[in-house]
Amino acid sequence: MDETYEAEIIKEVLLGDPQPFEALVREYQGAIYSLMLRNVRDSSMAADLAQESFTRAYARLETFKKGKRFFPWLYSIALNVARDHMRKSGRDFHVFMDNPTDMDRPEDRKNEQEAMENHLDGNVVFEFVQTMAPKYREALILRYKHDFSMQEIANVLDISVSGAKMRISRGLEMLRDQFKEVSNVR
Amino acid sequence: MSGKNDARLLDATIKSSLSSMPDETAPEGFSARVMRELQPKKPSVWMRFKLWLFGPQSMTFTPIQVVPVMTCVVALIVLGIVQMKPSAMSEDTVRLSSVRFVLNDMNMNAKTVSVIGSFNSWKAERSVMYYNNDEGTWILEATLPPGDHEYMFLVDGVKLVSDPQASMSRDDGFGNKNSILFVNGGHEQIL
Repeated sequence: MDETYEAEIIKEVLLGDPQPFEALVREYQGAIYSLMLRNVRDSSMAADLAQESFTRAYARLETFKKGKRFFPWLYSIALNVARDHMRKSGRDFHVFMDNPTDMDRPEDRKNEQEAMENHLDGNVVFEFVQTMAPKYREALILRYKHDFSMQEIANVLDISVSGAKMRISRGLEMLRDQFKEVSNVR
Repeated sequence: MSGKNDARLLDATIKSSLSSMPDETAPEGFSARVMRELQPKKPSVWMRFKLWLFGPQSMTFTPIQVVPVMTCVVALIVLGIVQMKPSAMSEDTVRLSSVRFVLNDMNMNAKTVSVIGSFNSWKAERSVMYYNNDEGTWILEATLPPGDHEYMFLVDGVKLVSDPQASMSRDDGFGNKNSILFVNGGHEQIL
């Protein structure tokens, strides 16, 4: 969506008309819902969390900085919603933080093994990404799917720019290794 | 080489797959569900002012309404130019006058003659005169800015000679008399 159009929508909403906000919801609902689904793997809960992300963004719209892109700002809020949910549910709250243990979860390894054995076509990357540690997965998705700049990724993930580069580089390396491993298995 | 190409191909495949990774479709009626939860905002006066201040504003007007404004703008510009002109003139264009220094020496007793003065920092090499055989005079033509200029002739590099034709002179404090040339600007002057 055009940034000028988004800015116009935000202005209208801030002036008291919530209706234009629906255009922003429609534009980004797929990405936010997908983010939630990747993390909770439950469609109903993912929808609730996605909704919570949009309502939280609406409530904080006054803090949105003019001239910035809306989607990275929204994505940042959605990641916080996901983090809060995981903390509350006692699950893996380190997923977005620099904790080396999250790279080697047994359930991930099992999924990876299945993926390696069952897929070796163009979708194999997609399968691998689904099973990656979230902090690498989200960095890769932000960079290559949503085309975020390194600075935007750093802001969204609340890390430094060099940290963002490191995650992307490490994530790519992990994907390459998995790819090669699958090729050998075949 | 092949290994490098394979690695490049692999990276390209990975990046391309990531960029084309599909989003999940949000549940039916998701946006409506979100919108039902939202209450209209009640912006403060400050927020309204801020949005007005930083947002683009559109104005409509007829050509006839523009005429008085444009007239004022043009008048201000013209006034500005007129006021700027004298100062620009005084700073940028100093009027120089042509001046001709002449020293009579019918028999060409001197070998070299120069004019030294306040206008050339008393440096002989900057204003060397030439000898005119027909007139029997040493001559130098120069351009000088308006004002008083003190000068002397330096004969054969050693002897200081006041200009016998100068109407005014001033004691230099070392036993010589500097000739004074007054340039009033705009006219050619012959000494």
